[in-house]
Amino acid sequence: MLMGIIIVITVGAFYLIHLLPGDPAVIILGTGDSPANKAKLYAQLGLNKPIYEQYFVWMKNILHGNLGTSFISETPVWTTIKGAIPIDLELMVISQILAFAAAIPLAMRSAKKPDGPLDRVLSAGSFTLLSIPAFIAIVLLVLFVAIDLGVPHTGPSSYVSLGSDWIGNLESLALPSFVLALGSFVVYYRVLRSDLIATLQEEFITMARSKGISQRRIMWRHALRPSSVALLGTAGVNIGGLLAGGFIVQYLLDIPGLGYTLISAIGYSDYLVVQGIVLVVAVGVILINFTFDFIINIVDPRISRE
Amino acid sequence: MSLTPQVLTVKNLSTIFDTPAGPLAAVGGVSFDLNQNETLGIVGESGSGKTVLSRTVMGLQPRTNVAVSGSVLLNGFEVVGASDVEKRKIWGLQVAMIFQDPMTTLNPVMRIGRQIDEILRVRLGMDRQTAKARAIELLELVGMPSPAERYHVFPGQLSGGMRQRVVIATALAGSPQLLLADEPTTGLDVTIQAQILNLLDEIKERLKMSVVLITHDLGVVATRTSRLIVMYAGRIVEMGSTREVFANHRMPYTRALLDGSPKVSNPSHTRLLAIPGRPPNLLNLPPGCSFAPRCAYATDRCHHERPELQPASAPGHTFACWNPLPTSRRASA
Amino acid sequence: MSNSYFVDELVEESTTQTTPERKKRLGVLFWICVVWLALNVLGAIFANVLPLQDPLYQNYSIINAGPSLHHLFGTDDLGRDIFSRIVFGSRVSIEVSLGSLLIGFGIGAPLGMLAAYRRGKFDSLLTTFMYMFLAFPAIIATIAVLSFWTPRSLLKIIIVVGVASIPLVYRVIRTATMNIATKDYVIAAKVQGATDWRIMGRELLPNVAPIGVSFLLIGIASVITLEGSLAFLGLSVNPPTPSWGNMINESRTILQQNPWLAIFPSLALCLFLLCLNFIGDRLRSHFEVTEGKL
Repeated sequence: MLMGIIIVITVGAFYLIHLLPGDPAVIILGTGDSPANKAKLYAQLGLNKPIYEQYFVWMKNILHGNLGTSFISETPVWTTIKGAIPIDLELMVISQILAFAAAIPLAMRSAKKPDGPLDRVLSAGSFTLLSIPAFIAIVLLVLFVAIDLGVPHTGPSSYVSLGSDWIGNLESLALPSFVLALGSFVVYYRVLRSDLIATLQEEFITMARSKGISQRRIMWRHALRPSSVALLGTAGVNIGGLLAGGFIVQYLLDIPGLGYTLISAIGYSDYLVVQGIVLVVAVGVILINFTFDFIINIVDPRISRE
Repeated sequence: MSLTPQVLTVKNLSTIFDTPAGPLAAVGGVSFDLNQNETLGIVGESGSGKTVLSRTVMGLQPRTNVAVSGSVLLNGFEVVGASDVEKRKIWGLQVAMIFQDPMTTLNPVMRIGRQIDEILRVRLGMDRQTAKARAIELLELVGMPSPAERYHVFPGQLSGGMRQRVVIATALAGSPQLLLADEPTTGLDVTIQAQILNLLDEIKERLKMSVVLITHDLGVVATRTSRLIVMYAGRIVEMGSTREVFANHRMPYTRALLDGSPKVSNPSHTRLLAIPGRPPNLLNLPPGCSFAPRCAYATDRCHHERPELQPASAPGHTFACWNPLPTSRRASA
Repeated sequence: MSNSYFVDELVEESTTQTTPERKKRLGVLFWICVVWLALNVLGAIFANVLPLQDPLYQNYSIINAGPSLHHLFGTDDLGRDIFSRIVFGSRVSIEVSLGSLLIGFGIGAPLGMLAAYRRGKFDSLLTTFMYMFLAFPAIIATIAVLSFWTPRSLLKIIIVVGVASIPLVYRVIRTATMNIATKDYVIAAKVQGATDWRIMGRELLPNVAPIGVSFLLIGIASVITLEGSLAFLGLSVNPPTPSWGNMINESRTILQQNPWLAIFPSLALCLFLLCLNFIGDRLRSHFEVTEGKL
C-alpha cells in the first residue's frame, strides 16, 4: 500500500516537471543558440529518449541515491537538498513542542469550565488567529516586533546553523517557529477542547470521580487519551502541511529550508532540484501520515477493532 | 429503631435542577436510614428519581445548576454541602458506586487491571506489585476466570457480564463499607443478571458491607433486599421491610408495580396490567398526590392535598396515601 | 494556517442524524459579517462607478503619505491611492476564489456524488485516481505550474487553482454522500422503486448541500489565502493590477517608511476571512443536528 502510493508519487513528480513548458536546453544555453547545439545538448542530457525511458533511468538513479546533478548550480541535487532537511526538522520540532505545550493544558482548563472567562477569551482569540494567514502574521510581526525590537529578520540567510552557534541558531529560528507554532496551536486547541468536553461527559469519568481520583489525574490519565484521536489526526495532517507549505515562512524570513530552496529553484528554473524536492516532500508527507496512523492505533485501540 | 449503628442517614433530601424550562425537583423530601450489613432496595420506574437520589446521596450530582438541600450523613460525614476535596476523601474508600452500563463505566482505552488498582496506587499509596496482586485477588473474588491474564485486557475485549464484574471489582478495591448499586443488571442478559446479583449477595456477606440496590425490576428486590423503598415522581410513596411491602402494601402504586411484573406463579397467558396514563412531568407536577392522575382509587382529596408518609401496622412500614388499600394478610408475590 | 482539518470532522458531524436540539440563533454578529461581506462584494462589482481615485494613477508628489481626507488610507510608494487599490483589489480575491471553486465544485462535486452512489468500478478507478492527486502536495504543484506557465493572467490562476481543488472537493462530497447513501431512508426510497436521478436529487442532494456550503466557505477562505501566498512569490496577478496579496507583498520592502501599505490591505483581507469563517461556523451550528445526550 505504502509502496504503491510512493510509486505513484514518483511518477507524478516526474511527469509534473515534464509537463511544464520551459525548455531545459534553452534555459542552459540561452535563447538564440543554434539548433545543432541544442540537439547535441539534448543527446547529452538524455532528453532525446522517449519519456518512459527517461523515467526509468531517473528512477534507477534515485534508487542508487542519485537525484541527478543540477544544470544550474552543477552540484548534485541531493547535496543541495540534504543541507535543507535538518533545518526543516528543527523548525518542525520546535514549533510543535511549543504548540502542544500550550494547547494541551489550555484545552484542559477550558474543558473543565466551558464558557468560563478563559474559555471565551481563548475561543475568540483562536478564531481570530485562524483568520490570519501566515504571511500576514509575519509581515505584521516583523512590522511591530522586529523593527521595534531589533530582532534579526532580514538579510541573506540570517539563519545560523546549529553546529556553529546554538544560541544564534535558536535566535534565528525564534520568529519562524513562533509563527508556525501559533498556527498549529490554534488548530490543536480547538480540536482538543471540543473532544475533551465530549469525553468529560462520559460515564467512566463519573466512575473515576467516584473513586475519589483528583481532577488533575482524571484530566491527564482518563480524559486525555480517549480525546486524542482527532488531535493526532490533525497533527499528522498539519505537520505534513508544514513540510509542504512552510515555505512562506521560510521564504519571508530567509531560512534555507526545503521550502526556501524550492522557491529559489523555481526562480532559477532549476527543474531537477524542483523535481527532487517535490519528491522528497511528497514522500515525507506520506511517511508522516503513516507514522501518525500508527501512533493513533497505539493510543486508542478501539480504532483498530472497529 | 435497631441498635446497630447506622451507615447512612438521609433526612429530607431534595435535589432541584435549574433547567431552562424552570426548576425541576428530581428528588423531593426523601428520608431513610440504612443499617449496617443491610441491603436496602429502591424501586421505581424511569424518571422516579432513584438514580438522581443515588448520585445525590453519594455527592456525585453535577456541580452547576443543581441545588441540594437536606442532610446525608454517611458514617457521620455530612455529604450535602461538602466540597469536592472533602467528598473525595470518602469516595472509593468508604462508599462506592456501581453504575448501570458497564461499557460506558469503564475507560475504554485503559486496561482493566489498572482501572481496578488505580485507587490502591493513587489513594492508598500501594506500590505497583502489591496493587497488582490485590487487583488479581479482586478479579478472582468477582469470578473472573484466569484473573492474572485478564489483568491486561481492555474492556472492549470482554463480554457484558464480565465487564460488570470488573466494575464491581473496581468499586470494591478500596474496601468501602457502603455500596450503591444503580441498576447493576439492567443492561445485561437475563441469565447473567442472576449471576451478578448472586455475586453481589456473596460479596456483601463476605465483606460485611451495606448495600443500596436501585432497580426498576421488582423481581430483583424480592429476595435480595431486607428493606424496600418505592419511589414515584421523586418522592417515597412506600417504605418498609421487603416482605411486608410485598405482602401488605397499602399504596396503590405499589400494587400497580407488582401487578405489572410477570410472576412464575401466575397461570399462563395472564395479562399484565399496564399502568394507565403517562409518567409524571416533573416540571409541572399536579397539586396533591403525584400518582393521582393515574390512580384507580384516587379521591378528591388525593388530587388536592399531597399525602405525607404515615405508619402502617407493621413496625418500620410507612406509606403515603389518602385512600390506601385495605390491610390483609395476602400471600407474598 | 490551513482549515482543511475541518473537512473530515465536518462531514462526520453533519451527516450524523438524530433528534434536533434547539436551533441556535444566528445572532447579531452573524448579520454584521454578512453585511460586511456584501459590502466587499458590491464594492468589487461596482468599483468602476464608485467615486474612487484611479488605482493605477501614480502621483509622485505624495508617495508614502499617511491617511488623509484625500487619500483615505494613504498612498503607496508610487503615489497610488491605497483605498481605491484595496477596493479594486477585492476583485482579484473574489474572482479567484469564486472562479476556482466553480471549477472545483462544478467538476468535483457531481463526480463525487456519482461515484459515491454508484460505487463499482467507476468509483474505484476514479477514487484511486483522485487520491493519487490528493497525496501530492497541491500547493507545490500549483506553484510549480504557475511559475513555469507564463505569461500569467488571472484566468490561468483560476484554472490552476480550480483544477488543483477538484480532488479535495471530490473527496469531501464523496465521503458525505456515502454517509448518507447508506442511511435507511435512502435504501427505503430505492426499494420503493425511485430512479437513481430522483434519489440523488431528492434524498442525497439536500443532505449533502449543507456540508457543501460549509466547505465552500472554507474553500473561499483558503483560496484567498492562497492568492496572498502566491503574490508573495510573485505568482499572482501582474502589477500594476492591484490585489490584496500584491499590496502586502509590496509593503515588505518599505515597511519602515510606510506601514500603511502593510496594515490596510492586511486588515481588509483578515476581516474578509474572519467574516467568512464566522458565517461558516454559525451556519454549521445552526443547521447541525447534534447527538442528543441522555
